[in-house]
Formats: sequence, structure tokens, C-alpha cells
Amino acid sequence: MAVTKVLCVAEKPAIAKAVAQHLSGGQFQTHHITGNQYVKNYVFDFNFGAPWGDCSVTMTSVIGHLTSVDFPREYKTWLSCPPAVLFEAPIHTSVDKDKTAIAKNIMKQARNHRALVIWTDCDREGEHIGAEVRDQAKEGNRNILVKRAKFNNTERAHVLDAARSLIELNELQANAVAARIELDLRIGAAFTRLLTLQLQPLHESLAQQVISYGSCQFPTLGFVVDRYLRVKRFKPETFWGIKVIHTRDDIKVNFLWSRVRLFDRAAVTMMLERCLMAKNAKVTKVNQKPTSKWKPLPLTTVDLQMMGTRYLHMNSAAVMKVAEALYTKGFISYPRTETDQFDKGIDLKKLIEKQLPDQSWGQYARGLLDSNFRTPRAGRHNDQAHPPIHPVCWASPTVLSAEEKKVYEFVVRRFLACCSDDAKGQSTDVEVQYGEEMFHARGLIVLERNYLDVYVYDKWDSTQQLPNYRVGELFEPTEANIFDGKTTPPNYLTEPELIGLMDANGIGTDATMAEHIDRIKQRSYIGAHSRGNGRSAVEVLIPTRLGIALILGYDDVFAGLTDSPSLSKPFLRKQMELEMRDVCSGSRVRQHVVQQNLDMYRELFIHTQRRMNMLKAAFQKYIVEEGNV
Amino acid sequence: MANLQDQLAAQLLHTKSLPVSPTWLNNFLSTSSALQRNIPISALTQTALFRILTSDFRESLTPRNPASKLPVDIFDPTVQERRLPSSIPVQVLDIEDIGSSLWSQVEAIERVERGEAVRGREIIRTVNVGDEEQEGTNGTAAAGTGASVNGNARSDSGGPHRLILQDAAGTRAVAIEMSRMNGIGINKLPIGAKLLLWNATVARGMILLTPESVTLLGGKIESMDQAWKSGRKARLLEKVTATGGENAT
Repeated sequence: MAVTKVLCVAEKPAIAKAVAQHLSGGQFQTHHITGNQYVKNYVFDFNFGAPWGDCSVTMTSVIGHLTSVDFPREYKTWLSCPPAVLFEAPIHTSVDKDKTAIAKNIMKQARNHRALVIWTDCDREGEHIGAEVRDQAKEGNRNILVKRAKFNNTERAHVLDAARSLIELNELQANAVAARIELDLRIGAAFTRLLTLQLQPLHESLAQQVISYGSCQFPTLGFVVDRYLRVKRFKPETFWGIKVIHTRDDIKVNFLWSRVRLFDRAAVTMMLERCLMAKNAKVTKVNQKPTSKWKPLPLTTVDLQMMGTRYLHMNSAAVMKVAEALYTKGFISYPRTETDQFDKGIDLKKLIEKQLPDQSWGQYARGLLDSNFRTPRAGRHNDQAHPPIHPVCWASPTVLSAEEKKVYEFVVRRFLACCSDDAKGQSTDVEVQYGEEMFHARGLIVLERNYLDVYVYDKWDSTQQLPNYRVGELFEPTEANIFDGKTTPPNYLTEPELIGLMDANGIGTDATMAEHIDRIKQRSYIGAHSRGNGRSAVEVLIPTRLGIALILGYDDVFAGLTDSPSLSKPFLRKQMELEMRDVCSGSRVRQHVVQQNLDMYRELFIHTQRRMNMLKAAFQKYIVEEGNV
Repeated sequence: MANLQDQLAAQLLHTKSLPVSPTWLNNFLSTSSALQRNIPISALTQTALFRILTSDFRESLTPRNPASKLPVDIFDPTVQERRLPSSIPVQVLDIEDIGSSLWSQVEAIERVERGEAVRGREIIRTVNVGDEEQEGTNGTAAAGTGASVNGNARSDSGGPHRLILQDAAGTRAVAIEMSRMNGIGINKLPIGAKLLLWNATVARGMILLTPESVTLLGGKIESMDQAWKSGRKARLLEKVTATGGENAT
């Protein structure tokens, strides 16, 4: 009896190779394919278990999306049609030019295989790529049986498990991606053509500039501009406060005013005088209690990007690229996840055990296994597809590049911290009433560092110890003075803050946030500048004149409209993102969502056309005349 | 008629400590004469009180009662401390939040103007990356989110507030909210709202407002309140640019 022939297709060549390694036990033949130097076909035998049993397997891959959506030729050049037509012009899907060899390979292989197993990444995008692969395979063999492997890292046992418990492709998720692709194409092309054609001629500096619009790009730019304006328009003000010092047992205790500060000097002076008139302060509360600093939550993509940019001195796009590479090499789990809770079924101790050989944290891992292990905290998010990012295998530092080492170390330390105990301490709060005013002092002694020993990114230090105070006792403060200060402007936006804002406002997905930031940099809407020097240097995001003109111009275009629609604020995009989730869950149909969004954006488009003079005025003001905000 | 007017005046003075101007009361009774016939005195008192609270005290109260007036030199900063007589009715002419910077108040107004505040909190959320204060006492196992929301400015009008008050004779005084009071706040306490001061302390020319020394009577003067609201942003802006925030009283 002939063995079943199974075709496997992964999302990237490296995954194909890693999976082939595991399934074949290292015994496979490699065939080159014509027309592409990266994609290979690996041929080997593998037993998938019932019902297929022993199979002859060909494992290959694509390189990301196979196809793209575009307008037919007659709509393609910028002056071929009024941009508004693009909202309803026909579109067609075709294989990308540089992917034809890959597509052909799949079609050809499908002809003599009975079944197809999709090994694309398990997320929305992966599901869509899987659908593309399936369509391509059906071109070669209409009767091919299609299955999907569900996996989230390339560790051997996990891959073998996945191969023996195949599932179906998730059509709904693929549909949601298709909807998003269509919307991005139509809306992006229409607005980009309109803006570029109308605004490019206004100044020579724009001659080569494509003024693109994207429903994620604009709100992202909006955050940067908004913060920039807050900094620029800021007015400093003087404030006053009262500080009280008491020396006891040679310890100088600073008591902080419960009002913190006030913006009325006469009132503060009067309040201080009434403190002094009272002469003695009275201890109203002494509260000594155990306190703890919580260990971090399991790692999500957004958190990895924010922490990465903060502590590893890499930008979010770079962090993701490196994490991606670490995943492909099998060292960490899939780095695109929203989940911040570990599944009950996962064997955490086994994962910790893998870290024992490490020079830096092997000892700590040993301690966890001996007795210090604690169940990780569970966050509130679960994308039902991937676990939190965690190390899968130990990676010897010699096999990693400098950047890979940094990201890998962070992922491991974070994971070990999650499996540790909270840091424990003892805090003392003393509250006193002085005149009619309340003051307080706080002391902290760190007793057990626990997770802090491995998670070097968190700081929690003991403060000066407080002397003894008894409730009800009176004392005369050593000093009571007025201090003054000035309010300071907010800082320019940093990349981790921007990611936080995008996340909170539903702009992009964890998978695409870094790309959107990168895109508006490429478009010269924003620039990254270094502030401060040495170790304290931070990179801040500052909009260019073009970026400012676009956002302020657009705010004028929509000023005064009912419902205040806005392309520079996140509301519309957030709505779209929520509707994509509806498509995924099956509660709404793809065509519906697409149509409704197109209708809404078409209206905004028409409005933009009508009030184009507002945008032009902003360009005149900020770019041509170099006016200040 | 005179009898009724005296009765009303006595009622308002004894139950509400409001020395109503005879002229005003006379006027009130004559304009509501159609109503008064079968109406019990208690209901009529209520109506009068309501009118008084929405009136200007300089018209509705008598300025002749020395026990219910502010001293004319109340602003004198050389007086360290003094007590006001037992009960003085006053109305609010201005209210300011001295716990937040003028600029942060301007920004808050602008957010409302842009319609962002009503769109939910996300857009105004400040994400303090990294310095999440996740100190919890033992046993509180509530899961914190990754980034804590730790509003960098006290966003609501958190106070304390500085008020300008006016008595029936038109004398004005600055008052400071010394301990938090529920009814006092911007957009909470309208201009023209009425208060009763009970043996309030005055320190360096400022009346100290505490729950023991103030009764909020409510009411407002509609026209003044409208004007105050519509001019608030402009006043804040003017102040913040003119003085650079050196806003000593």
C-alpha cells in the first residue's frame, strides 16, 4: 500500500527547516526550488498517527504573504481617475511578482500530495497566509485535504505534539485580515493620492514627498504631535509648599505636606503661620505593616516592546526583529501575544530546568527548583492563541549576537521573575497634624529581595529608617519652612510611551505597532532625537513641520462637525479594530464591515476635498512660512 | 399684610439666619399676591427662600444689620487672627482651584472643548511606563495591569479652592477651603451660590472655610454664573501669561 504523501508549508524558511528537523529526527533530503534561493523543500518520512500513519512528507515554506490586493491597471497611475473612485473601483488578488516561484512550487507539489498541512504562525495574519497557501495548493490539486498545525514555539516535543493533533484552518480570522487589507488599500490609496496631488506643489521641499495616509499612521502621528504641542505651549507657574523637618535620635526626618503644593503664596504663608502658632505637632497615626513589591506579570508583546526600548536601548522594531529571530531559532516562544497568564497545563518547572546551565542565572533557577518556585501571577488578557513570551530552551551566549543576547536575557529574567516570590519588606507610615495641616513620612526596609535578584530591571530600595513615634505624642518640629518651585513641561513622547498610548487606544495590533511607528519616521512625519547624554540619554519623538501641518490642518478640516470625527485621533481606527474582532468571532460578516467602513471614510474623504483650503492654509503657515505652533 | 411680612421676615431670620430687606419682601409679596391667599406661611417661606437664593444678596438682604455683615477691613493682612460674629450670609463671586496649576486647568478645558473627555478615558490616559507602583500589602492579590494609570495631574478640581465672597453690604473677602467640603468645587458651586458663615476664623485677611464654619444654602445668580463660565478660559489664560503664575492674591 502506498504511503500517504503530505505537503507541509510554513510561514518562513527557518520554521520549515526547524520543523523538518524535528519531524524527521534530522534525516531529510533538501531540494532547491527554481527561482528562489531561500525556500527549500525538505523530504522525509514521518508518522502522523491515526488516520494517516506513516507518511512521506515534503516540508516547504512561503515567505510571509503570497499575494496582494491591487487595483487593475487602468486605475493604477495617479492621474488615471479621481481618487474618490478608489472607494469602489474593482480590486483583484494576485501573486506578488517576487513570490511567483514560491507559489508555483506549492502548486506543483500539491499535484502529487494527498494532504496539505499548514504550519504558518498561529495568529490572524498566519491564518490569512494559510488561506493563501491553501488556495495556491488547490490550483494544483482541487481535492487536496487541508489541515493546520497549532504550535507556538519550535521546541521538539511541542512540534511533534502539534503534528499529531491537527486542526482546521480558521476561516473567520483569515476573513478579518482580508477585510483589513481591502480597507487599508482603498482608504490609504484614496487619501494618499488626494493629499499628495493637492499638497505636494505647495513647497519645493515636498517635491519628492509622498504624503501618505493610513488609518493607523495618522493617529500614531497625532499622539506625537499632541505631546509636542503640549510641550511647546506649556507655561511654567510658581507653586509653594510647606516642609517640616524633625530630628530625633540623630535621624533627620522629612515630613511631606499632604497638600503637596498650592498655587497661592498668601494661602501657604498663612497656613505655615498657623502651624507655627500651634507650636507642637501631634502624631495621629503610626502604621507599621508588611508590604511587598509584586513580581511582574507574564510577558506580552507590548510589554516586551516597551521594556525593550526602555532598558535594552533598542527601538521597538529592532526588539521585535530580534525576538522573531530568537523564536525562529527555537529559543523563545512566539513573540506576538497578548496573553499575560500561563495556562495551567504548562510545565513551568521543566522550562526553569532548561536554564540551569547558565552562568548568570543558572544558580537562581536552581534555587527556584529547590524550594523558591511560586506560581506566576495571572493577568487579565488571553488571546487564546499563544502563551506569554517565555524561553523554550537554554541558549549558550556563544550562539547569540550581541542584540539577541540582550533580548534573550530579558525574556529569561522576566520568566524566572514570574516564577519567583514577590519582594517583601516592612513599611512604616507616620502621620502628624501640625496646626490644621497634615504631614506624613514613610520608611521602608526591604527584607527579602526574591524576584528582584534575577529581575535587575526593577528597583526597590530601603529608605532611611524612621525613629520611633507613638500615636498621640506631641513634638516640636526642628524646622518648618516654605519652599517654592516651578511647574515643568511634560517631556517629549518616547517610543515606549507611544506604544503604551497605541495599545490603550487600540491603534494597530501588537504585531503592527512597531511598523506604524517606523512608517511615520520613513515618511518624515516624525524624527527621533536624543535628549540628555551618557547613560541617561533618552530618544524622544518630535514631529517635523510636515507632521505638524498635517495634524493641525486636519483638525481644522474637521473642526466644528457633529460627532467631532477626526483622522488624527484614535477613535475611528479603534472602532475598525473592534469590528475586525467581530469578524473573527463570527458575529459580523466581512462584507458588511468593509462596506460600512468604506461609507464612513468616503464621507470624511469628501469633506476633506471640500475643505482642502484648510489643509493648504496649514501647509502655508507651518511649512512655507515656517510659522510657530 | 404688614403682619404677614413681619411673620415671613421673622421666619427667615430665625430658621435661615437671613435678614431679609423689607423693601424686597414687600415687593415679593405684592408680586405674588395672587398666590398668597390660601397658601400656608410655611410654603410661602419656601418660595421666598428660593427667590432669595437666586437673587443678589445686595438687593434681597438688609445691609443694616451689623451682626450679619463682614468687617469692612476684613482683607487687612496685618491681623493675624480674628473671629467673625455668629452668622453672616454671603454669596460666591468667584471660585478658583489653587491645588492645580492654571495651565493644567486650561488644558482640561481644551480637552472638553475637543470632545475628548466625553469619549471615555483612554485618550486622556497617561501611561507611566516602568514606574508602576505595584506595592501591595500582603494578601491583596488583585492583578495590576502592566502600566499603571497614575494621573500626573489631579484632573478633577481637587482643590483646595479660593473663593471670593460678598455680603449684603457689598463687602468682599477672600476665603480658603481649609478642609475638603463636598459642595465646594468648580462646576459644583455656581457663582451667586449662598453660604452662611458661623463664627468663622479670619487669618491674615482670609476667611477659613471648614465644615463647622460654613453652611451651604445653595442657589445661584444665573446671569453671573453664565458670564463666569464663558469667560473662565480667557481669564485663566490671561492670568497665566500675564503673571507667569506669580499669582499671589
